[in-house]
Amino acid sequence: MLVSFNLVMALAAVPSALLARRIGPGRAAAVGLAVFAGAGLACGLAEELSTLIVARCVQALGGAAAVTAALELLPASVGSERRAATIWAGAGATGAALGPAIGGFFTELVSWQSIFLLQVPVALAAAVPILAVAKHEAATGIIEPELRRTGRPHLWANLALAMVSAAIAAALFLLVLLLIEGWRLSPIEAALVVSAMPLAAILGSKLNNLVADSRARAAAGAILVSGGLAGLAFLPKATIVLTLPPQILIGIGLSLVLSALTETALGGRAPQAIHGGWTISSRHAGVVIGLLALTPIFTAEIDQQRRDAIDAGTAVILDSSVNPLLKLDLAEKVSQRLEDEQGKVPTIGPAFEPLPEDPVERGEVEQLQGELQDQLDRGATHAFSTSFLLAALLGLIALAPIGLSRRVDL
Amino acid sequence: MRGWVLVLGSIAASVLLVGAYLAAGGSSYEPEKVQDPCQPRPWTDPQGLSEIANQFTTSALDGAACQLGVTREALARALATPEARERFSERYGIDDAKLARAIRAGLLRAVDDAEEAGALSPILAVPLRETLQRIPLEQAIEILNDAEGFLGDVDSFLGPAGDILEEFLP
Repeated sequence: MLVSFNLVMALAAVPSALLARRIGPGRAAAVGLAVFAGAGLACGLAEELSTLIVARCVQALGGAAAVTAALELLPASVGSERRAATIWAGAGATGAALGPAIGGFFTELVSWQSIFLLQVPVALAAAVPILAVAKHEAATGIIEPELRRTGRPHLWANLALAMVSAAIAAALFLLVLLLIEGWRLSPIEAALVVSAMPLAAILGSKLNNLVADSRARAAAGAILVSGGLAGLAFLPKATIVLTLPPQILIGIGLSLVLSALTETALGGRAPQAIHGGWTISSRHAGVVIGLLALTPIFTAEIDQQRRDAIDAGTAVILDSSVNPLLKLDLAEKVSQRLEDEQGKVPTIGPAFEPLPEDPVERGEVEQLQGELQDQLDRGATHAFSTSFLLAALLGLIALAPIGLSRRVDL
Repeated sequence: MRGWVLVLGSIAASVLLVGAYLAAGGSSYEPEKVQDPCQPRPWTDPQGLSEIANQFTTSALDGAACQLGVTREALARALATPEARERFSERYGIDDAKLARAIRAGLLRAVDDAEEAGALSPILAVPLRETLQRIPLEQAIEILNDAEGFLGDVDSFLGPAGDILEEFLP
């Protein structure tokens, strides 16, 4: 579902921008928001996965139209194209960081459907002020002639955007997966943990205002994203607090790099909607590539680590001093519990119940339980290491096109 | 702020984070690797029958797993219930006869290991070997499950006769 939405966004962004140029940004944004809201309602009411996927694809079409047209509409509100580009780029970066946190809260507090249903009034509310512009466009039918020209997209900035987006998608997607599937956090707990990233992104946006050189900001951002991802790859313990420093680096980094590269891709280019469309297309194509490339690696790794963790856990039981009569039974119960969870890393406690009544034996079994859980936590955490490292590498490779991109001082 | 200051700061922050995590053991935070069952596992100085039984079971599992070409851990899980054994047989293509041979071999290795470690008297070891070479599969599994009971039974069976015989040994 995640791939289909991003794929449609990647494919539809530039055609949507062309449509906005043809029928006017007001009308394109209004139609886009209406489609987005309608498809959001369909997503929220969907009872089958296939319906949900189709509705999500339609939602991506509406979203692409609204987002690219918004870039055409912004200069009139904020005073200049450059300022519009900065705000538009910043909003995109913040949105990318905020998504998982908001999604997690609503999934647990209400339901996953509520995420989509909530989008309906928000999209409609956003469409209201645009309706006046749309009506004006419909009445006059005038599209400014000088804006009809379309220059070539900024190759290096868009290429770097795709690479960095692939790395960031991995950061967001894999970290949420690690917290929920690996460390057994609830969606709301995971949302709370990953809130560190958008908070850090706000800090990053302040840095954006302090440094004029967009290429330096993009390079610094890519380095921070890669550093944070490498930090997640080398977590020394399955502890939430240790995910915070990498998240802070990724949050600041993504704000810097996405804003700077988007500004570079748009800088001095007209029409803005088309070039904005290219940046949206690059970012979402990057997300698709990131997910398609890293998911099989991660899936294979988690399978291997699960097997290793089961073996390591069984070894802990066999080498322990608990009553030999308990050992094989315990080993089987643990193994069965792991099999039953299929892909998840379970809380191992129930396999040890009932605990022995003898206090000495009970203590031994409880210690054993702790050691076994440690092996499982090790397995779950290590399963993500290769994917995080590859994502970090992708972020570093993005430094090449960033270096080749033209410097833009804002 | 100058651009290069931001870039250098980013590099420093990233290197510091990754360095700190690596120094704290980040590169080795993974499940412990299990030991090759064909490699000898040293016996610790056993205190009492329970500890001897514990190490006896481990040695026996190692011996059997080595013969079957599986890990000791996979075999231990397989022997817990008939259903687990069935799954194990299907997965590795091991029938009951092969399993029985391997477990008997494992039990014999455990007797050898126990004797070598001084945990089992040679007087007990000889009849034990004789018995273990002939036992059926279910009984062999039972011994693995309750090595303490088995070793205790053998010890009490020989009882005083064992002590007398031991005095005549070199």
